[in-house]
Amino acid sequence: MARRDVDVLLLGREGNARFVSGATRLWLAGTRPFAPGCVVVRETGAVHLMSVTDAGVPAEVPTRQLYPMSWNPANIVETVSAIPGVSGARRIGVDALTPLFEQLFAARLPDAELADGEAVMRAVRRVKTQAEIECIRAAISVAENALGAAVDALRPGVRESDLKGVFEERMCRLGATTPAFEGAFCVVDGDGRVRRFVSDRAVADGDLVAMSAGVLVDGWEGSLARTWPVGTPAAEHHDRRARWQSAWARAVDRCRSGLRVGELRTTPGLSLHGVGLGYEGLEDAAVLEPGTTVQLELEAAGVLGGDTLLVGADGAELLTAFPYGPGEE
Amino acid sequence: MVELDLARMRRERHRKIVDTLDAEGVGAAVLLGQAAVAYAVGARSPAADAARAAHERAIAVVTSDGDAPHVYTSFSEGVPPELPADHVHPAVAVEWPEGAAVLADVLPDGPVALDEYTMPLHAVLRDREVADATALLSACKVVKTADELECIRRAQSINEDAMLAVEPRVEPGVRGTELSGAFLRRIFELGATGNTVDPIWQVMPPRIADGPYSATGDVVFPTPTTNRRLAAGDVVWVDTGIDYEGYASDFGCTVVVGGSEARHRDQATRWREIVDRCLDVLKPGASAGDLVRAAQAGESRRPWLPHLYLAHGIGTNSAEMPLVGTDLGIQFDDALVLAPGMVLVFEPVVWDDGDAGFRAEEIVAVTDDGYEYLSARDGGPRG
Repeated sequence: MARRDVDVLLLGREGNARFVSGATRLWLAGTRPFAPGCVVVRETGAVHLMSVTDAGVPAEVPTRQLYPMSWNPANIVETVSAIPGVSGARRIGVDALTPLFEQLFAARLPDAELADGEAVMRAVRRVKTQAEIECIRAAISVAENALGAAVDALRPGVRESDLKGVFEERMCRLGATTPAFEGAFCVVDGDGRVRRFVSDRAVADGDLVAMSAGVLVDGWEGSLARTWPVGTPAAEHHDRRARWQSAWARAVDRCRSGLRVGELRTTPGLSLHGVGLGYEGLEDAAVLEPGTTVQLELEAAGVLGGDTLLVGADGAELLTAFPYGPGEE
Repeated sequence: MVELDLARMRRERHRKIVDTLDAEGVGAAVLLGQAAVAYAVGARSPAADAARAAHERAIAVVTSDGDAPHVYTSFSEGVPPELPADHVHPAVAVEWPEGAAVLADVLPDGPVALDEYTMPLHAVLRDREVADATALLSACKVVKTADELECIRRAQSINEDAMLAVEPRVEPGVRGTELSGAFLRRIFELGATGNTVDPIWQVMPPRIADGPYSATGDVVFPTPTTNRRLAAGDVVWVDTGIDYEGYASDFGCTVVVGGSEARHRDQATRWREIVDRCLDVLKPGASAGDLVRAAQAGESRRPWLPHLYLAHGIGTNSAEMPLVGTDLGIQFDDALVLAPGMVLVFEPVVWDDGDAGFRAEEIVAVTDDGYEYLSARDGGPRG
């Protein structure tokens, strides 16, 4: 905050709030409109949190730093403005905004200039500590176990939607009740684009099924993508896998410290973004540095595969270790 | 009840937005919130954690000239079939200045309404006249069409059926996480398109003072899921919600592990009386304030949670207008006049400090002369 000349951060994005507070709040799917649910004051170093209770809130955020939720944006702005250090702030970082909150801030905090708080948080969150990497590993372990349950269920007659249910049931049995995203468990038709929404289609012997799924464990994301055959793989499956594998190996090899993200994104079918406390944005101009964790996914030859990579000084370490197909390590 | 026609539903919603834009003199609505995009276009994106949903968001631009909406999305398979191909565009990454500039370039001149900014979008629209689209959209969303009501009914039905599969498992020794697993598996078997909220199985303390800390001094709910095993006699407040064709369900009930006793049944009866008092006054022309007063009549404490509401609407958001009994205040409630097509999820709370309490949810739609249940469960939720 000091380096970016920001006096106060008003954070609405849950991942940002979780990063600074460590708090677990109720998980809801989808985007949420901006409201300042977490406040960081540079002058006092204090983190304040919108929560009616301390359940799920670490002891480092004492109850006097909790403020109640409200349906009235004017009340929220009033409460937040009363936090020590906020009303005197010159530059306030917000991670998103709505026209209504912009108006209310202007009226209540007329001397403050609004700055891009998301850019501040992105920079702070990008390089992971060892402890954070362990959290990601723990989440990946749950995701891999749950994907294993889906692969075990991959028999003729099972519906795509059932596979999604099997994945989430196993995830919950392992103690995590929040998916990182709605899993895809979709039969691949020809060389066409892999579907991302499951249907009630039953898989048949000889089908290839593209699976992409993830979990959040204490907010940390573990996710991966694999394409497996139903029954015994045909020669055509081996051929596709081989084509995917060679493109994949090249992409992984390029994913090392010093690479500009935009360069890798020119590869057809490839997606790359940061991963940690959920999805983390990586701009095209970002340069990978040691300690960055990224989610790399490649769709090629009707095969979808993806892993979590930890960027090191000499290449990347695969944090995911699930087999790419039957009989593989 | 109607034969569900999704294309008609989308057409009618779009018309409402166009008419509202026209009436407000706004050239376009620029919608970034996923519930807003679901409403305006019917385009589907995968249900995802908030950060992923933000980065992979679909964006809708609805113009006041009545032309078909434009949608910018990575998930073209989620776009309704009737949308012209030249109105379906690749996603624009408004988390970055380049993407924000692309979006700014396609907006018509003059005032526009926007629901939320990313900071790069805020920067490129700095010199534009931008109204808040949330209120504008809320005015469209608050009254549901017959097709929308049918979507909510179906979402609710899947949610309730899944709970029927879970209820027998609620016994001493089971963990809330296992119940979540059984629930999530079942909703997808039953055809849900997504899960919208981490299922809640909260064990309530007998007294508020038994903790956890309460900033309001009143009952704390909800708290995060834990791995705690349920024990006989635990009073568990359940709350779940799923998605069907963009519409949310909401199912809440109270379960006493090992079976309820007379005092629990008494609380459930009092909860029923509160909801019935509200339903007695519920008809077009009544205000949200009338519901608030009906709920409070004869009660020694306010019978709902002060940080939440007596009732809320539901649609493409799991809680939307009409909000009843919030800290928006009684004047707001009195000004909110109920009309046919509005949906209300009542969630009062009966609390006897020392004996915990009872909370459940009941979902109805306002009709021309009263209300109808959107729940398939006779007589509302079970205790």
